[in-house]
Amino acid sequence: METAMLYALRDPAGVPSHPVIFLVLGVLTWALHIAAVHVMLGASTLTLFGAFKQDAHWRRLAAAMLNTAKVAVSVAIVLGVAPLLFVQVIYDPFWYTSNVLSARWVIAFIVLLIGGYLALYAFYYRNPDMQAKPTRGAWHLVLSIGLMLVVGWIMHVLSVQMLLPEQWMQWYAPEGHIDPSGQQLHAYHAARFAFFILLSEAVTGLWLLGYRRYLMGREGEDPAYIAWLKPMALNLALAGGVLALAAGAVWMLSLPEKMVWFATSAWMGAALVALLAAVAFPRLLGKRLDAGRWGYVPFALGAVALIVVAAAREALRFVTLLAAHGYDALDYKLNWDGYSTVLFFVTFAVLGGVVLGYLLTVAWKAGQTQGVYVPSPGLTRLGQLAVLLLVVWIVQYFAVGFYVWAR
Amino acid sequence: MEYIGLYPVWYEPGLGSGWIVGLIATVHVLFSHTAVGAALFFAYLATVAYRRNQPELLDFIKRYGLFLLVFSYVLGSITGPGIWYSTTVASPRGISALIHSFVWKWATEWVFFVIEVVGVYMIIYLVGKVDRATHLRISVIFALASYGTMLIIIGILSFMMWPGKPEWFTEGGYLNGFYGANTFAQLALRTAFMFTMTAVVGGIVAGAIKDPAFKREITRKLALLGMASTVIGGLLFQWYMATLPETAEVIAQNRLPEWFSLSLVVALSVIFAWFAATWVRPGFLTPAIASIMTLVVLVFGLWPEETARESLRKPYVAGQYVYSNQVIARDVPGLGIHSEIPVLERQGFQQSQVFVPQGLKTVTAGNAAEVGHSLALTTCSNCHSLSDTGMRPLAGYFGGNRDVAAIQVYLQGALGTGNTLYMPHIPLNDAEAFALASFIAGMNRISPLHPEPRRVAVNATATAPVTQSQE
Repeated sequence: METAMLYALRDPAGVPSHPVIFLVLGVLTWALHIAAVHVMLGASTLTLFGAFKQDAHWRRLAAAMLNTAKVAVSVAIVLGVAPLLFVQVIYDPFWYTSNVLSARWVIAFIVLLIGGYLALYAFYYRNPDMQAKPTRGAWHLVLSIGLMLVVGWIMHVLSVQMLLPEQWMQWYAPEGHIDPSGQQLHAYHAARFAFFILLSEAVTGLWLLGYRRYLMGREGEDPAYIAWLKPMALNLALAGGVLALAAGAVWMLSLPEKMVWFATSAWMGAALVALLAAVAFPRLLGKRLDAGRWGYVPFALGAVALIVVAAAREALRFVTLLAAHGYDALDYKLNWDGYSTVLFFVTFAVLGGVVLGYLLTVAWKAGQTQGVYVPSPGLTRLGQLAVLLLVVWIVQYFAVGFYVWAR
Repeated sequence: MEYIGLYPVWYEPGLGSGWIVGLIATVHVLFSHTAVGAALFFAYLATVAYRRNQPELLDFIKRYGLFLLVFSYVLGSITGPGIWYSTTVASPRGISALIHSFVWKWATEWVFFVIEVVGVYMIIYLVGKVDRATHLRISVIFALASYGTMLIIIGILSFMMWPGKPEWFTEGGYLNGFYGANTFAQLALRTAFMFTMTAVVGGIVAGAIKDPAFKREITRKLALLGMASTVIGGLLFQWYMATLPETAEVIAQNRLPEWFSLSLVVALSVIFAWFAATWVRPGFLTPAIASIMTLVVLVFGLWPEETARESLRKPYVAGQYVYSNQVIARDVPGLGIHSEIPVLERQGFQQSQVFVPQGLKTVTAGNAAEVGHSLALTTCSNCHSLSDTGMRPLAGYFGGNRDVAAIQVYLQGALGTGNTLYMPHIPLNDAEAFALASFIAGMNRISPLHPEPRRVAVNATATAPVTQSQE
């Protein structure tokens, strides 16, 4: 595929802010999305393990992880919207082509994701109290995990296909005859998929450490359960890290020629160091893991490691498309729009920060309180500010809108 | 050679890609509008519950909220991005036009989505676990954030029909594209009908309430909400129609089926009667009947409305500058966008597209029908099915005509000039018009039992006369 053809596919409307902003936001939001995906997969798998155990600790963990998985799917979906948006902005020629060439699978993605989510809820409704009652309908959970892996595979294929423009014509018109059915998944890289999936085990281990620390702050918690969680979390983090890095090594050794540079790049090195640090850190902490708020730090460090991995993944895409195909994602035509740019960042940082800060703090503290939780005056003022900001946002929407309309 | 940015085409012979988008969009409207309406209704119920000390109303919030977790926050949250996915494969340049003009607006909406998802879990699971004032505050936050998502998407939907201000074409700018009369009329209309949907769907939950007195109270609240919003929505529909562009009005008069207006009136009347009946006799309300009414709203209210909206903006798919067949139809100096029609007139479709195999770039005696198939995919299949089923089957417009020359004359006369209302300007040169006509003539021989276009098209080459090549 000639470079001129790739550029012709770009949207002629251009972008409203410098492309690097979309690139950076794409990296950050993809890292958040994949973290939620990892927690969802790990929590579902732990629930499945617990579903077949009689041990009281396992049953309790399964019940907690089922609730975690349920929320994590919601969070993964809503967080996934942002990177899906940003990839279309600066990589539209690649993303759209890859999608159209496997269109039936793209539609299937929607149906299968709904199926996986509903299966999880079906399992939940059949097992509202896993701690006290035997498991019913475990196949729902198996189905859910299976479907989630399939939708992950579809996203994986779409991400790989977009990096292979040299093969697009052959896929679309094999032997010169157009096949518009979109029924094939054309390219994949199993080791790459395995790397990202296996990483969920490590992330879940770090998540469990945070969960354990959360329980330690709660009144009247069972110390035996908290102690039982520790080795499991540490082992999951380490084993998951080792398995993911092994898959990552296979991925690096099997990169196509135009991507070989990536295996020895600084990006890859940084990702490797970040992942090793994240999985080793809880063990390095030793007894301090149980002191103060240190128990939360491993997951935070894991999140940072995922951002580094996301940046490396982006570097692989950006540099490959630039070096092998001459496509520079950062030279997208700019049609600067100040109002919408500023409005987003203010909404994101100020309104989003205050409102989510308030909601999550209340949720956190209510979860750690026995009985009815009454927020402090300071937190209540934050809540009042949250409402005020939302009202102000809506008022400005109408004020600006009526002004523009009447102008 | 100058390229135009047309993507590969996805063609689904059973339903047609357009209807798949329509189906996903329609069910998403039901899920999402119900959620937004319910969020506002919850804030009202929570206020009443705390002011009048009626904790049973909080119980209803919890029940309805748990129902919505699946109904709106599973199905709705997936079909939302599902619209992106389906339009990506069915109309990539249409969704791209919206994404590139409104990326920050969608990103802003995403902030509200995150708040909404956190809020729905909190409003359900924190009943009785936080003090009243805090729970009420969370309800208000949830309601405002939900409505924020509605405020944002409305402007983008309006732009699809018609950029808010005509200055958008010359000056560009997000504000000129987003805000206009249609934005506010559509916002008002959808706000009314989202309460109708909330009331109908809420009946599924209210119908299962065991306590007769409580069931009566909730059912009547829902019925009042439903009756008021149905009447107000019906009136606002007139305002909405008045804000449509002139072409849409002509299309509405000439292209929408005669039963369209009647079906809307009947649907609204039936829904109103249903609410009235449940207000008089709350015992009528059962989950099964409420579920049937939800389907009635979906099939007889939302589906015609969504398909009409799609029809009224023809021949465009976005912003009155991107044709349904993905070609950029006009200059938009404000954004430095140039019409692709002159390039197509100069070079033809096959030479201008990126995704055309080398063997189909030039029309020859041996490939005319296959080139025609390629042209039909590009220029027609977004709106016209190439099989017997699906959206507006193409063959149906030619009445079984197998006269290639006659079809070619029609294509170049009616479509090549751009003078047919509702249809895009399709500047076919002689060779490409012949190729497309050959394909259509071949398609008119399709047996209803074997609607496989390409095979038939290739067969059609056997009878196609020799024609001039493109170059």
